Amino acid sequence: MRRRELPSRLGLLLALVAALVAPLFLGVAQTSYVTTALTLGIVALGLDVLVGTTGQLSLAHAALYGVGCYAALGVGTRGLVWPLAFLTAVVAGAAVAVVVGLPSLRIRGLQVAIATLAFQVFAQQIPSKWAGVKSVGQPFERPSYLVDETHFYYLTIGCVALVMAVLAALRRTRGGRVLLAVRDVEARAAAFGIATGPAKLFAYGVSGGIAGLGGAVFALQQTGVNDTTPFILRNSLLLIAIVVVGGARSPLGILVAALLVQALPPILGSDFDILGKPAEQVLPATLALLLLVSVVQQPRGIGGVLRDLGAKLTDTGERPSPRPAPTDAVASAARARDLRDVPRPLKHRLPTPSLLVAKAVSVRYGGVQALVDLDLEVRRSEIVGLIGANGAGKSTFFNAVSGLAPTTGSIRYRDSELLALPAASRSARGVARTFQDMGLVRSDTVRENVLLAQTWIAAYPAVAGLLALGGSVGTERELRRRADEALELFGLTHLAEERLGDLPYGTMRIVEIAAAVASGPDLLLLDEASAGLTPDEAHALGDRFQALRDELGLTLVVIEHHVPLIARTCDYCYCLESGALIAQGTPAEVVAQPRVVESFLGRGTLEEVPA
Amino acid sequence: MTLLAVDGLCSGYGSLQVLFGVSLSVGEGEVVALMGSNGAGKTTTLRTVTGLLRATAGSVILDGHHVTGTAPERLVDHGVVMVPEGRGMLRELTVSENLALGAYTVRDKAQVAAALDRAYTTFPILFERKEQKAGTLSGGQQQMLALGRALMASPRLMLVDEASMGLSPVMTERAFSLIAEVNRTLGVAVLLVEQNVLALDLAHRAYVLEKGQVVASAEGADVRTMQGQLREAYLGVSA
Amino acid sequence: MLGEVVVGLAIGSAYSMLAVAVVLVYSSTRVLSLAAGEIGAFALYAGLHWHEDGLLGWHPTVLEAGLIAVLLGGALGLLVERVVMRPLVGRPPLDGLVATLAVALFLALLELALYGIDPFAAPSPVGDGSFDVFGSTLTAPEITLLLLAAGVAGGLWLFLTRTRFGLATRATTSDPTVARLLGVKVNRVYVFAWGTAGLLAGAAAALLAPIQGSLTPFSLTTALLSALAGAVIGGLDSLGGAIVGSLLVGVVNGVVGSRVDPTTSAGVVFAGVLAVLLLRPQGLLGSTRATA
Repeated sequence: MRRRELPSRLGLLLALVAALVAPLFLGVAQTSYVTTALTLGIVALGLDVLVGTTGQLSLAHAALYGVGCYAALGVGTRGLVWPLAFLTAVVAGAAVAVVVGLPSLRIRGLQVAIATLAFQVFAQQIPSKWAGVKSVGQPFERPSYLVDETHFYYLTIGCVALVMAVLAALRRTRGGRVLLAVRDVEARAAAFGIATGPAKLFAYGVSGGIAGLGGAVFALQQTGVNDTTPFILRNSLLLIAIVVVGGARSPLGILVAALLVQALPPILGSDFDILGKPAEQVLPATLALLLLVSVVQQPRGIGGVLRDLGAKLTDTGERPSPRPAPTDAVASAARARDLRDVPRPLKHRLPTPSLLVAKAVSVRYGGVQALVDLDLEVRRSEIVGLIGANGAGKSTFFNAVSGLAPTTGSIRYRDSELLALPAASRSARGVARTFQDMGLVRSDTVRENVLLAQTWIAAYPAVAGLLALGGSVGTERELRRRADEALELFGLTHLAEERLGDLPYGTMRIVEIAAAVASGPDLLLLDEASAGLTPDEAHALGDRFQALRDELGLTLVVIEHHVPLIARTCDYCYCLESGALIAQGTPAEVVAQPRVVESFLGRGTLEEVPA
Repeated sequence: MTLLAVDGLCSGYGSLQVLFGVSLSVGEGEVVALMGSNGAGKTTTLRTVTGLLRATAGSVILDGHHVTGTAPERLVDHGVVMVPEGRGMLRELTVSENLALGAYTVRDKAQVAAALDRAYTTFPILFERKEQKAGTLSGGQQQMLALGRALMASPRLMLVDEASMGLSPVMTERAFSLIAEVNRTLGVAVLLVEQNVLALDLAHRAYVLEKGQVVASAEGADVRTMQGQLREAYLGVSA
Repeated sequence: MLGEVVVGLAIGSAYSMLAVAVVLVYSSTRVLSLAAGEIGAFALYAGLHWHEDGLLGWHPTVLEAGLIAVLLGGALGLLVERVVMRPLVGRPPLDGLVATLAVALFLALLELALYGIDPFAAPSPVGDGSFDVFGSTLTAPEITLLLLAAGVAGGLWLFLTRTRFGLATRATTSDPTVARLLGVKVNRVYVFAWGTAGLLAGAAAALLAPIQGSLTPFSLTTALLSALAGAVIGGLDSLGGAIVGSLLVGVVNGVVGSRVDPTTSAGVVFAGVLAVLLLRPQGLLGSTRATA
């Protein structure tokens, strides 16, 4: 177990012990308050999957809570056993949530929030109209062993533990890993082989299923629900508050926040008075104030406080050097060979002389023609340079290859037509790229980012990952092994657990290249790899290009503003201007052409004043 | 009389440092060109000078006053206007409204009216289209509007960010000659941030920016010889 | 039917004032404020409480209480801008949205703590007269709403197109960076937006509560949601769109709500919002910039 994980494991253990012994200190009524608070906590954990991890602000979770509750009631009041009712609630919650999430395939951010708000407002009206959904007159019977409040409490703890296990599995497998990419770099996630649509719907489904479970527990606890108060908009807002105050992606913090919000007021309520009014009435407002302060000051919630505490306790004062370490050539060669071994069918690995052939490629954004009729060829094992003034269309070409731009024409990779493939499938064929402004997820660790780039290799169904079924465990192990190899190759092993955004810019760019290499490509597209690097780093980069070609057998296409770097490393070079090709040849040939000089410096030359 | 003195300016975006100690100056009535290829840090320099970006080190002295880190809103009061990259059109507002905003800080109504008159006389095409939305103008017309708007507050120093961007070569020459004329007739100093070598034609002094540092400077007749240095900086080829 | 439409227009007028409040803030700061409802409600609670219990010996009349609500709403808006929203400038807009949700939640829970959950009697500040129109009865608050909304729309239009500060506001809406470089003190524009939004929220609350009969925590946020639906349908960065959209929603709620039932009416509005978001996200009258 790594040092870093010690505090969180310990914290979990402490929380578990506290949860198990709590009934010894609480009376019956208080235990039931805690149980109710925990059901809300479960829903909040589900909401966190969307808000904290996937960046989708859902204001519909109180309604999903209600869906779970009524689904459980519908089954439970008809005499079926409670596990079946719970299962129905999970499925119902997941299904409704996926429907709520469908608009997110077309719209983003604020508009998604508004759509979920509209759904919440609409859904909370339904129970008043549809009496049949509430009950058939019988209560939802608790079996004899659950009648005791303390026993029911332990059932709830069991459900909480189950949810936490699912969340942990989410973080460890592809299904959950890609969600951070959807949150932070959605527009470019396809370049890592991530299909954002299915990923989002998966997130909605998991989130809704968890919320449904919370509703089911609530239904069994109350044995019948007569009014819709727990499922109205106010509770959706309260759930957001719990996630923010608890801390996004901090399950323990969220549970603590839920207890503060929902259990503390009634427990203290009858005994205490604050400013002349019962605590039960005043506490919620105080907690909302806490929320306000949280949002404005931007602390990372209770979870953040706990994490900082844990970090302080285990901080040895050493920080790893933030630059890549030097690597051993012989070991590198072995690693390089190893990374070339990917599960790609032979027909997609044939050694064709021309790896990439672009013909008549055009890209049009709205009214702007970004690429006009471009013809370009990349031969196997070449390093090809792509230069041009600002707005020439260089990155646009990469976007066309990655599938991130509306493209016409033909781009053949080996003998497949890339433009006929969905963007998320191109990574599997062997094309990897980096971005001009560093396209990885800064809030994630270095290792996680390298795992992210290999998404195409993790081809198991996301749900199987959650349940550790099938080949998912083996595949994940393989991914981790490959990630470690790639990190070793680039001298980044000592930085594997560091948060990417905390590293110097130059190191981040190296991580980006390492991640691209980890995905086992044959063609690597590097977009302005030297941007932001110091002159020494930029020089080393040139050597790295050659190493990538020689040791890893990669073919490179390199976009650069720093033309001298191109001149030093490239075999062939294309120069673009305003979306069209204006010159091609060896770098020396291209740079000497007057048309190219004009493109960089401007039309016409000034008369030279005699010295 | 130095209007603008920048000394050892450093800044960047988060962990990415872009400027590594930029020093330059602009005197009254001068046209100074700051040349560099993409990624050199030209726009970052202007954004730091105007306070849109916070400097991590160094100073900006305007007319003798330390303005490092001052809010951009105060610039116009100091007699400095900026024509941003892409011309900074307020697209939904009309030509006349854009011009009026150029004189936003001018209190005297008569002065504003006179400035408006001057703008319409210098750029008759703006008068023709004064009720048109700025977003519907062509690139060249927008360039004129940007210049006209910049002059409304009778500035002493104009910062121009890549005037040639998105303009055809003919329009670029036109834009540069307009700027030169403004400098000649109104005595407005200009810091011209450019990639296009034609800017050297109207500059009294010039600097070359590369990877966040000034690597060369020249004045007077030597300015035109910088062309070779630019070629070296952009393309790595000696002239 | 026509009468129902007119009543719907009156309710829609209340929505339109709330929608204008939301759009004013959104177009200048790109933050969607869901706090407008509770800002108005809290101001009205305070005003009506003052009317009932008196303070420092003064018992304002219902009309005066309404005016107090308007002013207090404005003050609350200014406070929220300074204390909550100003520190969030530069953060992603969703953070701002969550902040306004937090404000709404806080104010509603504060109302709960101070005034309890029982509905608070909300008498009409403009008396109880009524008017017969096309077969339906239009009460005094409803008439006032129609007139007030028209006045607000006209006044705002004049302000934005004919005054110097109005021009500055439109510049900030278009491009805050360019506006700053032109010398516009954008912070003042934000203050204006939030202050005016608060005034409008207070006025909407004072007139809407008597129509609904009473005031409860969250009742005005519910009204705000209809206003928001109208603003989204009309276009979040278009004041005209916000007004037209809200009137539309008001009419739908009025006609469908009374003829069929409120649930179906909510369903129709929900479907409308969803359709707009998916097919024309900038709204009927908004510009494509709105979908940032």
